[in-house]
Amino acid sequence: MATLMTHPIIRRTSPPQVVAVAPSRGSVRCGVVLASCLLMTSVALAEDISVRASADVRVTGGSGENSWTQGGFGKTRFGDGDAGTPFANAALSVHWQVTPAWSLSTDVRYQPHLGSALSLTEAFARYRPVSTGAWRWSVKLGEFFPPISLENDGIGWTSLWTLTPSAINTWIGEELRTFGAEARIEHRGEADTLSAGAALFGTKDPAGEILASRGWSLSDLVAGIGSRLREPDAYATSIGVAPPRRYDPFLEIDHRVGIYADAEWTSAQYGRLRALYYDNRADPSTYHPFGAGDDLFSWRTRFVSVGAQTQIDRLELIAQAMDGTTKVAPPGFASETHFSATYVLAGWNLGAWRPALRLDAFTTRQTPDFPPRMSEHGNALTFALNWRPREWLRLTGEALRIDSTRDARLSVGLAPRQVDTQIQLNARFLY
Amino acid sequence: MGRRILQLVAYVLLAGCDLACATPLDVRVTDARGAPVADAVVTVVPQVASRESEALSQRAPRTHVIDQRNETFIPYVEVFRPGDSVIFRNSDRTRHHAYSFSSARQFDFVLGSGEDSPPMVLDKNGTIAVGCNIHDKMITFFYVTDAPWYAQSEKSGKARLDLPAGSYAIRVWHPLLPPSGHDEPRSIAVAADAPRDLAFSLQLMPDPRASMDRERVGY
Repeated sequence: MATLMTHPIIRRTSPPQVVAVAPSRGSVRCGVVLASCLLMTSVALAEDISVRASADVRVTGGSGENSWTQGGFGKTRFGDGDAGTPFANAALSVHWQVTPAWSLSTDVRYQPHLGSALSLTEAFARYRPVSTGAWRWSVKLGEFFPPISLENDGIGWTSLWTLTPSAINTWIGEELRTFGAEARIEHRGEADTLSAGAALFGTKDPAGEILASRGWSLSDLVAGIGSRLREPDAYATSIGVAPPRRYDPFLEIDHRVGIYADAEWTSAQYGRLRALYYDNRADPSTYHPFGAGDDLFSWRTRFVSVGAQTQIDRLELIAQAMDGTTKVAPPGFASETHFSATYVLAGWNLGAWRPALRLDAFTTRQTPDFPPRMSEHGNALTFALNWRPREWLRLTGEALRIDSTRDARLSVGLAPRQVDTQIQLNARFLY
Repeated sequence: MGRRILQLVAYVLLAGCDLACATPLDVRVTDARGAPVADAVVTVVPQVASRESEALSQRAPRTHVIDQRNETFIPYVEVFRPGDSVIFRNSDRTRHHAYSFSSARQFDFVLGSGEDSPPMVLDKNGTIAVGCNIHDKMITFFYVTDAPWYAQSEKSGKARLDLPAGSYAIRVWHPLLPPSGHDEPRSIAVAADAPRDLAFSLQLMPDPRASMDRERVGY
């Protein structure tokens, strides 16, 4: 513990008394979410509106460590002590085609465990002039997901194959959101479509922090406006902050503009390939006064992401990989965390039954390497069995096993290697 | 007057021969796994044009209505003869497009809720993929053909044609045939009073409609 207490990351000053969340800011964001709900409700009365919604009723069982959502190092959403706890999730997606060229889209999620239970996970306008030729261009403005995930295509950015997305898409859901503008050009051929896009964005400076402080995890929590991510309590203590330490992952600190560029090839015959380069261009020496004696620093995060998806008869295969770094540089110190993850998912389309199997692998490596090391490595195996007895009902049983090694666990008296398991039974009602 | 009566008698005899002389040809279309394939278009052209085939090729044009309902074009595949017309009907509460940039026909309609497009004549043979610029998943295919005989396979994968005795070229087309997998014609001979079965196995691309369930939004 003594070594962790002197861990220099994030710590600018060291008084232990800290208020983790700035309440005034949270109230404002809750207001934004509620206003969006009201707007969506009123808009839903108009024509050209598409409303989709889902509601989950779930029973879970977990064993192993305390989940990170409870301040532990556990890599699942539910850990030791959460077994059998029934809870509910909900998501609402509204798409309003204002004119043939203009549309507005919003996503709201209700989910316990991320600070505010209600969060706005997407809200954007898209301008896409009607094209009757092969070329088509569009612009998006607002808050939206970068085009990375190949598995999260369901209402509220959920997976149609599993309840818990891969490690890569869990992190995207937690810390990556575009608050800005994206331009896109597509060429639609007879046999395939090529698409290329580029974006400029802000409100992204803490992105990467959770990978350094907690490491990878696998959960279906998706942060939005109003959400707060919790760091492991031991980590908060190590930087002189009284836990729980929760932060807003979508903050603008340094007023620098981030960029990403992506390309995608889609073929009706072969599937699709996707690649993206991301750089939030954050100045890692800048910080946001977060509470008494606590500052939230910017993290310079860069990565490359690639993915492929194909279908062979009834078998659908999805694979994604990501490799990058995140860097923080408080005065007199700098630390870089290299992160990488990959997964392969095999899903079978058997009509009403859709079983899926996914294998994840992930690592983080911190430089310089302070003891106890913040680095980690691990793998995860997910099996889900989905049954759609009705169009409006999806029943899913999912087993998840994560085997990971992280030396930081020594600070709470745990062995570095832990195996977390989680069983979930879920009924998803679809509208 | 006498000439008209003669014409009428000729038509009646022709129709009678169509009914009496036709031999059923049952076509069964399956995919690579042997599962039945719906919406395949079976066309039959005689090796030598006959009076019957020419009469069928010169049928009066008609108008087809393509519905847009629940963000889906209905039907998924429609067969036209050159000269037939199409009207798009938006039965949804939301606005739709109907557009194509296929080489056989380019067009674009914007349809508000409850609106019909003006009739549009399709005058050339070919396949026309029709989409909606607002809802990318919406798609329908027009197959324009002057083949005298044609049929569409049902859910069972079966299509029936009634043909006079003769030699024919028969081909099967489906929108999920890969661009490289052309519908090569097959030659058959049909004898009077000798019903025939014919099986076609198609190597098809994945059906994008399989992913169009209400849970999928698309991100």
